[in-house]
Amino acid sequence: MVADTRRIPLRVSNKKAYVWDVDDIAVIRSQHGICGILTGTLPHLSQQNAFLGIPLVLMPEEAVYLIENGVATFVDDTRAHIQPSTSELKQWNADQQENIKQQLALAEIKTTKDTTSGRAMSEEAIRKRKEREEKKREKAARLAAKADGPNALLAPTLEVEAPKVDAAHISPGRLSSSTVPYTIVIPALSSTFEWYDPSKYTYTTLGDAKTAGIWDYPATLAERARCGVFRGLKEKGFFMGGGIKFGGEYLVYPGDPLRYHSHFAASVLESPIASLRPMEIVAHGRLGTATKKAHLLCGWDDEKKEVSYLSIEWAGFG
Amino acid sequence: MENHPSYSALSDVVEKYPRTAGSLFQAYNDILYAQQWQDVEVLDLEGCERGAIQGCKKDTETILHVVPCSLAETVSFAWLQTAFTLLSDPPEIYLAITSEDASIVYYKISRGIVKPPV
Repeated sequence: MVADTRRIPLRVSNKKAYVWDVDDIAVIRSQHGICGILTGTLPHLSQQNAFLGIPLVLMPEEAVYLIENGVATFVDDTRAHIQPSTSELKQWNADQQENIKQQLALAEIKTTKDTTSGRAMSEEAIRKRKEREEKKREKAARLAAKADGPNALLAPTLEVEAPKVDAAHISPGRLSSSTVPYTIVIPALSSTFEWYDPSKYTYTTLGDAKTAGIWDYPATLAERARCGVFRGLKEKGFFMGGGIKFGGEYLVYPGDPLRYHSHFAASVLESPIASLRPMEIVAHGRLGTATKKAHLLCGWDDEKKEVSYLSIEWAGFG
Repeated sequence: MENHPSYSALSDVVEKYPRTAGSLFQAYNDILYAQQWQDVEVLDLEGCERGAIQGCKKDTETILHVVPCSLAETVSFAWLQTAFTLLSDPPEIYLAITSEDASIVYYKISRGIVKPPV
C-alpha cells in the first residue's frame, strides 16, 4: 500500500466519527491498527447484519487516538454541504436523467432479447393463455350477472386490465411516464457532489473540533481514563475491539482480530482509588477462565497520565 | 476463634486488625487444612490493614502469597498494588475472597499483562 501523508477524514455526524472511504478503512486498519465496526447495510435488506459495509463507525477512543497521532482530521460533514448553485443543480439533474435513460435503454435491450428467444416455443403458450383468459372472463360475467341487484356494488370488478407495457416504444421524451422500474443512485461519498467543500470545516485537533461544537470526547474522568487505557494498550501493540460480549470495555487482541483470538477482556478503572468490589473480580475472573481469556484490570492515574495493569485468573483451587 | 488450634499463629495480626480477622482466619485454615500448603506463615500487611499468608503448595517449593478479603469489602486498584509492594513484588498473589457462609474462592492476580495458560 502506498504510504501517504494525507490525513484521513473522519466524518463526524452527531458526535460520532465515520469513515466512508474503503481505502481509508484499509489504511487505518493496516497502518494504525484501528478496526472500528462496519455498520452500513443495504436499503432493501436493512435487517440483515451478516455482511455490512461502509460507513465504518469508530469508537470515540479510536477517533481520539487517530486525531492525537496526527493521522486523521475531523470533518463537520453537515456543514461541509454548502448550498448548490442553480447550474450545479441543473447539471446534477441532467446527469440523473442521463443515468435513467441508460438504465431504460439497457432494460429495453434485455426485453427484446428475451421475447425474441422465447418466441419459437411460445405460440402454443399464447394460445393456452388466451383460452384461460376467455374462461376467466366467462366466469366473471356469470358472477357479475348473479351479483346484479342489491349487491351490485360488491361485485368483483374484473374488467380492469393491466396497462400494456411495451419497452420497445419507450422514447427519451416519455421518461416520466415510463412504468419500467429504474434505480436512483445516491452516491455513498459526499465528495462526489460539487457542493461538498469540507476545507472550511476540517479540524486537526481535538480542541478545534470541540470549539466548533462537533466533538467533545473525552470530557469526563471516565472518558479520559478510557482514552488513556486505549492508548496504553495500543502502544503495547494490541488491537482493541468492543468488549460487551465478555463484560469488559475492550477485547484485547495480540494482532489483527481477523488473524488472532483475543487473550484478554479489559475493564477500565478510572482512578487508583476507584472502588472495586471483590464480586467484580470473581465475575470477571470466572468468565475469563471459562473463555480461555484472562481479565485485565486497567488502572488509570489521571495525575501521572499512566496506566498500570493487573491480570486476573481463577487460581485453580478453592 | 481463640480456642482454635491455629489461633496462636494468628493472634498477633488478629488483635492488630480485628476488622479483617474473620477472612484471615477462614483463609488461613483453608490454606493449611483444606489445601494442605506447607511452611505456612502469617505476615503483617500493614498498608492493607490485614494479615497475609505465605506458603508452598503441597510438594512444591515456590513460595506463594495469599491476601484474604471479605466479599463485603470494597477494595481498589491501589490496594492491590500496595499488597504487591508490601510482599516485595511477587509475580502473582492469590486473593482469597471469603463469604459469610464460610465459602472461599481464590483468584490469581498478576502484575502487568500476563497471558493465560493455553
